Amino acid sequence: MVAFAVRRLGEMVGVLLAVSVLTFLVFNVIPAADPARSMAGKGATPQLVASITEEWGFDDPLPQQYLTMMEKIFSGDVISYQGQEDVVDRIVEGIPATFSLCIGAAAIWMFFGILFGYLSAVRAGGLLDKVLTILAVAGISVPVIWLATVLLNYLAYKTGLFPAQGYVGLTEDPLDWAYHLILPWFTVAVTLVGLYSRVLRSNMLDVMSEDYVRTARAKGLSERQVMTRHVLRNSLIPIVTLFGLDFGAMIGGSAILTEAIFGLNGVGLYAFESIENLDLPPIMAIVLFGAFFVVLFNALVDIAYAYLDPRVKLGSSAR
Amino acid sequence: MASEPHAEVGPAGSSPWGLALRRLRRNRVALAFGVLFVLIVLFVLAAPLWANHVADTGPNQTHTLEKIEVDGEQREVVNIEGKPIGPVWLGADGKFFLGADGRLGRDEMVRLMYGGRASLFIGFAAALLTTVLATILALLAGYYRGWVDTVISRTLDVIWAFPVLLLGIGLGIALALGGLAIGPVEIPSGSIWITVLIIGGVLVPYMARPLRGAVLSLREKEFVEASVAQGAGPLRVMFSELLPNLSSTIIVFFTLGVANAMLFEAALSFLGVGVQPPDTSWGSMVGDGFDLISSAPLLTILPGTMIFLTVLAVNVFGDGLRDALDPHSKVLLEVHAGVAEPEGTAI
Amino acid sequence: MSGAPLISVRDLRVGFATEGGLVQAVDGVSFDLAPGEVLAIVGESGSGKSVTAQTIVGLTRSHNARIEGSVRLGDAELIGASESELRKVRGERIGMVFQDPMTSFNPVYRIGSQIAEAIRAHRPAVGRDEAHEQAIALLDSVGIPDAERRVDDYPHQFSGGMRQRAMIAMALAVEPEVLIADEPTTALDVTVQAQILALLERINRERRLATILITHDLGVVAEVADRVLVMHEGQIVERGSLDEVFYSPQDPYTRSLLGAVVRIDGAAPLRPPRTSEPLLEVTDLVKHYPVRRGLPRREVDRVRAVDGVSFSLRQGETLGLVGESGCGKSTLCRAALRLIEPSSGSVRFEGREIAGLSRREMRPLRREMQIVFQDPYASLNPRKRVGQIVGDPLKLQGEASGGELRRRVLELLDRVGLSREHYDRYPHEFSGGQRQRIGIARALAPRPKLIVADEPVSALDVSIRAQILDLLAELQEDFGLTYLFVAHDIGVVRHVSDRIAVMNAGRIVEEGPADRVCEQPSDPFTQKLLSAVPIPDPRQARARRQTVGSG
Repeated sequence: MVAFAVRRLGEMVGVLLAVSVLTFLVFNVIPAADPARSMAGKGATPQLVASITEEWGFDDPLPQQYLTMMEKIFSGDVISYQGQEDVVDRIVEGIPATFSLCIGAAAIWMFFGILFGYLSAVRAGGLLDKVLTILAVAGISVPVIWLATVLLNYLAYKTGLFPAQGYVGLTEDPLDWAYHLILPWFTVAVTLVGLYSRVLRSNMLDVMSEDYVRTARAKGLSERQVMTRHVLRNSLIPIVTLFGLDFGAMIGGSAILTEAIFGLNGVGLYAFESIENLDLPPIMAIVLFGAFFVVLFNALVDIAYAYLDPRVKLGSSAR
Repeated sequence: MASEPHAEVGPAGSSPWGLALRRLRRNRVALAFGVLFVLIVLFVLAAPLWANHVADTGPNQTHTLEKIEVDGEQREVVNIEGKPIGPVWLGADGKFFLGADGRLGRDEMVRLMYGGRASLFIGFAAALLTTVLATILALLAGYYRGWVDTVISRTLDVIWAFPVLLLGIGLGIALALGGLAIGPVEIPSGSIWITVLIIGGVLVPYMARPLRGAVLSLREKEFVEASVAQGAGPLRVMFSELLPNLSSTIIVFFTLGVANAMLFEAALSFLGVGVQPPDTSWGSMVGDGFDLISSAPLLTILPGTMIFLTVLAVNVFGDGLRDALDPHSKVLLEVHAGVAEPEGTAI
Repeated sequence: MSGAPLISVRDLRVGFATEGGLVQAVDGVSFDLAPGEVLAIVGESGSGKSVTAQTIVGLTRSHNARIEGSVRLGDAELIGASESELRKVRGERIGMVFQDPMTSFNPVYRIGSQIAEAIRAHRPAVGRDEAHEQAIALLDSVGIPDAERRVDDYPHQFSGGMRQRAMIAMALAVEPEVLIADEPTTALDVTVQAQILALLERINRERRLATILITHDLGVVAEVADRVLVMHEGQIVERGSLDEVFYSPQDPYTRSLLGAVVRIDGAAPLRPPRTSEPLLEVTDLVKHYPVRRGLPRREVDRVRAVDGVSFSLRQGETLGLVGESGCGKSTLCRAALRLIEPSSGSVRFEGREIAGLSRREMRPLRREMQIVFQDPYASLNPRKRVGQIVGDPLKLQGEASGGELRRRVLELLDRVGLSREHYDRYPHEFSGGQRQRIGIARALAPRPKLIVADEPVSALDVSIRAQILDLLAELQEDFGLTYLFVAHDIGVVRHVSDRIAVMNAGRIVEEGPADRVCEQPSDPFTQKLLSAVPIPDPRQARARRQTVGSG
């Protein structure tokens, strides 16, 4: 088990390395434009471009460029030329808001996703199932940009039921913190509730036709015991791994649209502003930041899966 | 002669496709949404007709300082404060049917129709690209296994490691604004093909991984061994034995890919790194109208609703397709702009 | 067996609504189960025997099932009883054991905790620790060694036979009055099957536990049953004591079933001795699979699937290769055909070494050696029509095309007992036996000299088996074929082979003429294998039990 974990984390480092190379290629090599110019952004003067070229080593051979870039990012020495600020600092400032958004949304989507999925599966084919399925499909079809803007317009601006925008720190005022986050949480959760309820329903239906469920009934367990102890328990394992991946991706920046529209001062909003201004250094740093979380959670998920499924842990060929 | 006493077989024409078609026909809900989708396609195809014969204007023509006659009254297309005219419906013979879009005073209905063409085109083309690439990679990785599989899987893992949306954004910034220049391939910066390539490429791992899993399990089936025993080479096994058995899954994945590609494009264009002016798409329209959300909410709601309806139609139809083609399918594909899903399998 | 019946089934009918209409699985079944007796319900697939058994405890209830009739357990009526009433019956008064112990246990819970769960479902007063202790005692009582340690293992850590013992232990946890065993040994090797049957017989004897045994294997019935019911297409066609049914069957279906059983002790049909040249010569064939563990993946061990095997096959003869699951017989025949690459060793076909040939060089040789597979469902491409499946080998070798191809395929279909109109059909439209015929036609298409038959009848019903074996024998005569016949059922192997080779753990432990190997085996493993095979003849089974002593 320990060997497995160590190996997995080692693989993670390998992937991160490859990710960094890819980031480098994406931003510095592929575009037809001069990377120094892109970095300087709007208001680039020839002197600025020259000094950037020097600092980032764009005249050096490619491998050297890559090393320079890595060095700068890891030492936190990345400056946004447009905003005149330290990129890493700004990212760190944005973490509380992003985490608040992601963790709260995660709690909501897991609770409702599992609840709806369970109800759908237990009453498969019935009216409740049909209704929940329709809601689920609608959920995964909803474009975040539309939902967020609609909520913002009608529930915030027009009726004033919720605050329009902005983030309030948890430590400042917990109630206000939650108040500002309700609409964003809902926006993020809608899609995922739909997805998770469908995945859980599908898993449960598969598991319900397994032999060991029949054995459980034959032993004389009540229907509820069969459903929770055997069907749900086994169906949740893939959900847990799915959750790890989604959560990692979300922290990594997939909540960008929600943060932007609701004005939450997180990493995603920073990304959004940088995109609008075509400010390259922060974007690069945020992409790496995001990739790091995805890869981290990927590895954690693999380890968790090995823990939850004894066949994997003990070395048989299940997965 | 050892012949069977009961050599009966079912009614003729029970090919797997025939059975699937019959099952699909019974699924009224899926069919209804399929019809909805077709209507939406017709709607956007009618764009030039509407633009030339009814609205008398193109999607990029500005009418900022103009006035039009509505029910006998003269009204400004964009008033002094910059507020555009709301939906006129048939008051001006169809001009500005849905009003004007912001300060530039363009005809919203015309833009909606033209925007849909880009959104749908990108959705289809990107999904097609993803499907083709994913199928080829999955076949290669699943059939050859060994180092081929390792290389392909690791490469896909690296792409997978990026949060989907950020990767798209990153590529969008790099390419949509700068153009693509790799070797002999050159695509200018404003081209819609850049967006197609980005979305199509980024979604590949999400489709290739479940397909690879399906290939791996198919490969163990004895009819594949039988083919090898007859002397079939790798290409023949992949295309004549494996691919036909994957076709149902591929078709379903394609439809879901269209849905996801459209959502992805909407996000990218909203942020300004997808479709570039003068082209327009529903996503970029939502982005354009965002600033006027309180004064002219329709500018964001209308294109957003179109995206929602189209994606919903594709998803519901795709579900119906899956139920018809492969009722016992255990292979799932779920992707979201911003959220990554692997196949969901139960223990 | 005196006293009022424990279970009384009257006019049971079970139908399922499916896509293709109403399927009547059980069509008016009535019988009694007396206290302490072993009642065997015998039938082929689709006979309704499993559905009957599962309906007794209400496991077939679903929204598309139509259940009518009466099942009385003592005074209680079970059909139509509420779920909570049935809960009290399941496990507590009627225990069930199913066919596949691997999938019948939840893979994520320990064996001990699953048994404890069964106990506490009916005895809520029993605490966790006490239930754990009881689980250990139960495992011990069914013959699981080192029960105290093994109780905390997961299902996949048990071997097949031990899992089934654990299942039996779990079914008997709260001492029910009846045990229903649904094909309890079908998924097990013959030697393990003998042990499990001995266990069931002991339990029945010691506890006077009434048992309903569902099976398709007449040999199993002859070993353990007191009374027999024969089911066919949802109805009971014959009933009586063990001897009555076996020695004076009244119903034609029963008679044909008994007649179709291939017996180990029946002498093989007389075959002229083969003295021709060796067609296939395998020398010291080895196939190892490395096992890699550790941080830098190092090979720590090897799975020795085939561990140095040599044999030769003369033209026109049939060599039977027999062994239990995991002995390497499937791997061996695939390695000999170069479907898997041998790790080392030599394979000579018609005198020519083929072990090292490239794919291109092998290609023309593939025509000469073909294979018939075990699983009629997985061996045919579901997306291709029959005509295409059978014609593919000809197309691949470039031997025929167009009209000529069609003509030859139709001829082959005819030869294996199918009809012309099957040419355009898809595999899913055929039964298991018919699909095997298609597989045989496909193997015959390139006119091979050697056909490897890998468990060709194991997945088929008893009555169909005989037909397919007859077909294979006919074809051998007509086409001068040489067979390498692989099976785990030594009775079947004896029936078709000239010579038999017995495999165990990757090696051939005995080889010789079929009759000699079966009647005077010299190797202890062969002896064990032969003595474990259940004989579908009650008198002989009793006689053998007496000489050997009880299990």
